[in-house]
Amino acid sequence: MDLVVTKNFGSPQSWTIQSYRESGGYQALESVLSNLSPEDVSELIKESKLTGRGGAFFPTGLKWEFVRKDPKTPRYVVVNADESEPGTYVNRLSLELDPHMTLEGMIIAAYAAQAEHGYFYIRGEYGLSHERVKAAIKEAYDAGYLGEHILGNDHFHFDVEFRRGAGAYIVGEETALFNSLEGKRGNPRFKPPFPTNVGVWGMPTAINNVETLAAVPAILTNGAEWFQELGRGEATGTKMYCLSGNVVNPIAVELPLGTTARELIFEHGGGMPEGRMLKGFKPGGASSAPLTADQLDAPLEPKSMGELGTIMGTGGVVVFDETTCMVDVAYRDALFFEEESCGFCIPCREGTPNLVQICERIMHGQGTMDELALLEELGASMMASFCGLGQFAHQPVRGAATRFRAEFEAHIRDHHCEAGTCPIPNGNGRAA
Amino acid sequence: MLPGLGAKLTALLWVHCVPLPRHQQMSIHHAELEMPPGRAPLPESERHKLAILRERLQPLRERAGSTIEALYAAQDVFSYVPPEAIVMVAEELSLPESQVFGVVTFYTMFSLEPQPPHLLRVCRDLSCHLAGAQNLIATLEDALGVRHGHTSPDGQFKVEVVSCLGLCDKQPAMLVNLEQHGPVKDTEVPALLDGLRKSAS
Repeated sequence: MDLVVTKNFGSPQSWTIQSYRESGGYQALESVLSNLSPEDVSELIKESKLTGRGGAFFPTGLKWEFVRKDPKTPRYVVVNADESEPGTYVNRLSLELDPHMTLEGMIIAAYAAQAEHGYFYIRGEYGLSHERVKAAIKEAYDAGYLGEHILGNDHFHFDVEFRRGAGAYIVGEETALFNSLEGKRGNPRFKPPFPTNVGVWGMPTAINNVETLAAVPAILTNGAEWFQELGRGEATGTKMYCLSGNVVNPIAVELPLGTTARELIFEHGGGMPEGRMLKGFKPGGASSAPLTADQLDAPLEPKSMGELGTIMGTGGVVVFDETTCMVDVAYRDALFFEEESCGFCIPCREGTPNLVQICERIMHGQGTMDELALLEELGASMMASFCGLGQFAHQPVRGAATRFRAEFEAHIRDHHCEAGTCPIPNGNGRAA
Repeated sequence: MLPGLGAKLTALLWVHCVPLPRHQQMSIHHAELEMPPGRAPLPESERHKLAILRERLQPLRERAGSTIEALYAAQDVFSYVPPEAIVMVAEELSLPESQVFGVVTFYTMFSLEPQPPHLLRVCRDLSCHLAGAQNLIATLEDALGVRHGHTSPDGQFKVEVVSCLGLCDKQPAMLVNLEQHGPVKDTEVPALLDGLRKSAS
């Protein structure tokens, strides 16, 4: 299979402009600027059915078209590299090993959206990525890929500014990221208006994930059809999946979008540690509800994951074996969302600690069956949250309680933790 | 129309809109203001570094939205964001102090307390948890003789338990300042700490 976003990862010094050029880098940009109009570019990307790899899967070409059609200027392109979803590290690898590919995609996006300014926003914890991306931006300026009259084009000017976050998951939400770029607290903003019309500094903004932009140069070089055919079934293109949890090799691998979890875990991740059985997995980071072992053959793509009542998310697959307690898993997710809730709206600020407390009571053998019903009710009220964080925070806990119902009931009714990791007094848990 | 109303209105507007004469205006230099309690003001010995910070903030004045970068600069100079730095950042970037303070408290990587040279951020989220992050945290606490969230007695280390660091391929993972470490085995902890101690001296 042709690789798209990871094809240069193995080259020596793959993060330098020299290495990137040797593998054909920046040729797509050169050919775009001499042969295609901005309309042609967004049409071609639309045709390729490239969608947002950050987890929302919105058509990328359409986004750029919306921005270009808004008469307000200056328009902006923002790279969202605030990757903070637990179990996900694909953007970090792209930024560390091939920052120029994302940068080239960003410049092409700016051309298609007719944007003048760009922000490359990376989360604060990615120190190595900061260095590599800053160096890449400088190299691109020196080579004439950024700045005024790019590659001699009279009408195309584009400046990129490097920005970093300082520790906040919520800033990955696009409107919160705009606030952060403007030097404010990273609280989300109300939508609509959408970023394509009112984004950073109130101007039309195309905000894309690292992996989305990294796929762009290859699509322009090889054509829309080539990219479409890389996907499996109805899904188009490739996706960088990454593995963690109870698996032999926690690695990231680029595979056709729509690959099954079974193939990912057993063919690429080396399967389960010796003597262990797979109990369940999370298809895409903390926000996704866990699935059971008999759902291993469902393709990891947005539509089929939606049908199973979970989300494709970021493609960060976390694997669980029988030594892992699913109440503990739900508790960890709840803890994460409690910590990362920005506190701006009540359903999320009050809901997330409630999720934690329910899980804690069940883990300590103090839970009641009513609590499982309360969980559903709580989830329904959290759907009123202002942004996606609160609307998704309860899904992993409810999902675990639904799909691993027997395990939850064993904790409540029999004070029994099968994995033996819960501190149930007088049960078979750690405290016993 | 009542006679003279126009003149009265003019007088009212006059009183409310005309600035006070220069000598009656507040003329306190902001950085001299007394700080609210509960925050760690700069010790006298560190105050000379305020000039360094002001220097570093100059290029940021032209760049809209650089609050975060300005606070990183403050943290670079002082190891934390003292109240004096908040006032200075607000002054230099022409922002309300409340907004700057709000940004400091929003982002987890900014600290209002002095930080030791080695900040060990250990991930506690799902993947690292399954790989034994709890044990790693306990081992670090034992080795340093202090609970996480507190500076060790020698003033060199602090363990922070944090959200996912995006290092799940190195589970259980941690950052030493911004340097990636992982997978960190419990048995490797003493050597790791020794190495850091030596690098400091």
